Amino acid sequence: MNQGYSDDIIIYAAGLSKTYRRYKKKEGIRGSIEGLFRREYEEKTAVNNMDLLVQKGEFTGLIGPNGAGKTTLIKMLTGIIAPTSGELSVLGFTPDERRDAFKRQYAVVMGQKSQLFFELTVNDILRLFQAIYEIPEREFQENKRFFVELFQVRELMDVQVRTLSLGERMKMELMVALLHNPRVLFLDEPTIGLDAVASRQIRKFLREVNRERHTTILLTSHYVEDIRMLCDRAVVVSHGRKFYDGSTTELFDRYRLKEDEDMGAVMERIYRDGDAAWLQETPEAGGDGPDGKEE
Amino acid sequence: MGATFAKYREVALVHLKCQLAWRADIMFQMLFTIGRILFAYLLWGTIFKGKDTVAGFGFDGMLSYYIFSSFLTQLDLSPGISEEIHNRIRGGTFSKYMVLPMRTEGYFVAMEAGVVLFYLLFDLIAAFVWVAVFGIQLQVTTDTGVAFCAFLLVVLGLLFMVQLNYYLGLLTLKYQGIGTFLMIKNNLAALVTGSIVPLVLLPGGVVEVMRLLPFYYVTYLPSMLLVGRCREEAFPGLVILSLWCLVLQALIHLTWEKYSRMYDGVGI
Repeated sequence: MNQGYSDDIIIYAAGLSKTYRRYKKKEGIRGSIEGLFRREYEEKTAVNNMDLLVQKGEFTGLIGPNGAGKTTLIKMLTGIIAPTSGELSVLGFTPDERRDAFKRQYAVVMGQKSQLFFELTVNDILRLFQAIYEIPEREFQENKRFFVELFQVRELMDVQVRTLSLGERMKMELMVALLHNPRVLFLDEPTIGLDAVASRQIRKFLREVNRERHTTILLTSHYVEDIRMLCDRAVVVSHGRKFYDGSTTELFDRYRLKEDEDMGAVMERIYRDGDAAWLQETPEAGGDGPDGKEE
Repeated sequence: MGATFAKYREVALVHLKCQLAWRADIMFQMLFTIGRILFAYLLWGTIFKGKDTVAGFGFDGMLSYYIFSSFLTQLDLSPGISEEIHNRIRGGTFSKYMVLPMRTEGYFVAMEAGVVLFYLLFDLIAAFVWVAVFGIQLQVTTDTGVAFCAFLLVVLGLLFMVQLNYYLGLLTLKYQGIGTFLMIKNNLAALVTGSIVPLVLLPGGVVEVMRLLPFYYVTYLPSMLLVGRCREEAFPGLVILSLWCLVLQALIHLTWEKYSRMYDGVGI
């Protein structure tokens, strides 16, 4: 555990950067053959010198267009990949050391990657995760009951996962991820591909988990609506850099964001209207609670 | 300790349950086992026509060796591990295992145990039924010490194959493609087990060198021990295979320490 760790600070990142190296191939078969003998690489900075401080119980939204660096940041925070440079501490641990004690305290749900076994039922999968996270039977039963009732999925617990709809499957992903009462939940595009009804249900569920269980949540999305409905605090990122970090309400007011807006258009307006000095205002912790949250 | 064991046991059970989800697979698996025994019965019946022994084996001894050997070969499902790891590292989804609070290698060993248990269960049922139907007199060693050594060799052999395939899968972190490594492994295994050239046709020195490699002890030696042969090789076999398991363990550890930071999680 890192020195100077405080229970209230869940994520501390300073000057965090991640640079990928990628192969650039010339067009055509000639380029492919040349690539066998000599390769050109280029460096792509996915996250650039980012600072981030998240405190216990916050619901923070990372918003930005595709390729902004949101998923890379989540991967670094969970220890899946190692930062190229900078300081990083999550729950007092250095994530890329990948200690079991650290992994037991967080959960990660990636909208396009599943932790489920498609041949099995959710009940069977929950038993597996009970064993993996060493959850006592009583706590397991209580948590299962809580999530089954919250999601109203009692009738789906004994059917094969592969037969579930996308929305139902995402509910199950969340249930499996939250079974061990993680202190922090990382969500990468949890509503991607879902219809309006399913998205609304997922949002309601996440709000409930944050409120009832005081789980710190960091959510990435390129849906403006997700952020407005859920997050007290918004962090806008683009090209690996942080452009805004503060109250979600203020972000929406200042840039006249609309819920159904495309992220590209949003970013264009932020670049255009952004007052450079104001953009550098990056409060260390979240701002005021937003109005009009989905209940 | 108990909780640690419980998590790996549950992983094994989950993969056993995954196998049991597909009824058609179970049926075809049993039919395949039956087909193999039938094929061996007909083939060796023809070869043994007018002869009492072939290469020192009687008909029942040869059939017993064939059944044991093909049964053990079928139990080794570890090539799927290198494929799974390779695909997930290249596709950026290996994180599925990395975020779990357990040893990734242990997960794959437990997974293999679950799948092997499935095949063991249904193949054994099918094999017993058909051995009874054909009236095959299985020749099994009566020496419990040798039988126990054979059992240990089978377990160590399966563990070694999991380790080897896990290690080869991890090489994707460095090389991206591991097709060449898999080809070398498959050819070496086929050569050492006598699948390409019968071992008796090779010079004695070459065979001795091959016996230092692990593949000889994975299916061939346990099968021979079970039919009551090569008993003097049992103990050296156990030592050599155990050493190979230790070597692989060290290689896996070093490879993961050195290359895991190269995982970029990029993919579909």
